[in-house]
Amino acid sequence: MSESENSPTTPSSLAPWLDLRVDHRFPGCHLQLECQLSAQRTVVFGPSGSGKSSLLRAIAGLLEPDDGRILLHGQAVWERRGRGQGHRRPTRVPAHKRRVGLVLQNPALFPHLRVRDNVAFALRGMAEDSRKEKVLELLRIVDALALVDRWPRDLSGGQQQRVAIARTLAASPAVLLLDEPFGALDAEASRQLSDNIYQWAKNQSVPVMMVTHNVEEAFSAGDEVLKMDCGRIAAQGPPHKVLSAERARLLGVLRACAD
Amino acid sequence: MDTAALLLTLRLAGLTTLILLVLAVPLAYWLAFSRSRWKTPLQAVFALPIVLPPTVLGFYFLVALGPQTAFGRVVTHLLGHPLAFSFAGLVVGSIIYSFPFALQPLTSGFAATDRSLLEAAATLGSTPLDRMLRIVLPLSRGSLVSAAVLSFAHTVGEFGVVLMIGGNLPGVTRTLSISLYDQVQDFQYAQANWTALFLLGICLLALTLLYSRQRRSELV
Repeated sequence: MSESENSPTTPSSLAPWLDLRVDHRFPGCHLQLECQLSAQRTVVFGPSGSGKSSLLRAIAGLLEPDDGRILLHGQAVWERRGRGQGHRRPTRVPAHKRRVGLVLQNPALFPHLRVRDNVAFALRGMAEDSRKEKVLELLRIVDALALVDRWPRDLSGGQQQRVAIARTLAASPAVLLLDEPFGALDAEASRQLSDNIYQWAKNQSVPVMMVTHNVEEAFSAGDEVLKMDCGRIAAQGPPHKVLSAERARLLGVLRACAD
Repeated sequence: MDTAALLLTLRLAGLTTLILLVLAVPLAYWLAFSRSRWKTPLQAVFALPIVLPPTVLGFYFLVALGPQTAFGRVVTHLLGHPLAFSFAGLVVGSIIYSFPFALQPLTSGFAATDRSLLEAAATLGSTPLDRMLRIVLPLSRGSLVSAAVLSFAHTVGEFGVVLMIGGNLPGVTRTLSISLYDQVQDFQYAQANWTALFLLGICLLALTLLYSRQRRSELV
């Protein structure tokens, strides 16, 4: 993975970390996606029900599409042909072998483990001293060092999200997927946390894909934007091109407020 | 009270409970999370002892382990004696008869595990076995206790299966419930009263334990 050693603002010059073609039917929704992503930071933008979370779940291995293929860093993790396209055995790399870190809106902290053990969940096999050190280092990144001895039930929503992010980073993912992970945080805290995560991802050469509804966040956090609508990718490209209409609408609202 | 029968009953119930938990945990895990089409028919088969008369179970057990079947001959050859009318036979019969009482609470408990926790663990590199050991089992402690208590109490109270498979051999297959039957047959009502009270006490204690656990988990 040498993507982030280059400038993240020139995604087209990089090898794709994701090569995806997915066809999947839900009750009342047909997901038909095809894309290649090379940027270090990709934002998935779109209304509720447009298939953003399903896209992330398919990449992470938590959703098995009806048909298609998913390549991560050039390796097929999922491949299945539909009817009439041959009978090759499907490729299916299970979620626990994909090295895809996924942080959802619901932090899903393990309720029977303290914060330190939640973060250390993926650090099995590491010497105890190194593990403790690693846990503290990761909690520092998400600004949650003071929570190390607490139980998940004693944390606020925002604190739980911070711990969930640290726990995901501990697994050393090769790809990091964030599904609106800052929902319980205020704007300033959210900006600070996302900066820290992107810095970590850049240092580790890990591409990040983040789902958001927030235009400002999409502009500040995305080298590339996937705009989704009704289960399809409506547009793909740099934020100023893909989100020009949303940007104009936002500026209009701000001007109207100023007037 | 018949002390030998009491000790035999406790030994039988303890051993049965232990083996049942070892066997039922992986099976309950599979039933809770599998999407196999065999799941429903298998669930029906495993639940059969709840509705089946114990004598039916005991009868098939005797037939299967008798000298007429190859299986029965192999078991007799391996053990050096027939499994029927022995303590080992009683244990096997009790395991089959009490199986649903361990399986049902475990399956319900495992199935109630928040799926988002398992998905999170999977994306953290946790294998299915690791998820069972580190997420599902610790979060299903209540179900494990329920399964153990129900299995133990149900084995203590067994009568039909024990009589069919084990007969009534003092110190070998005579459990408390058989002893109670004998005492009544011999008009020893005072002794029978103590035996019945003891069995009643064990069952009441087991159910109190069970419901107090349920109440505690409702309050949390």
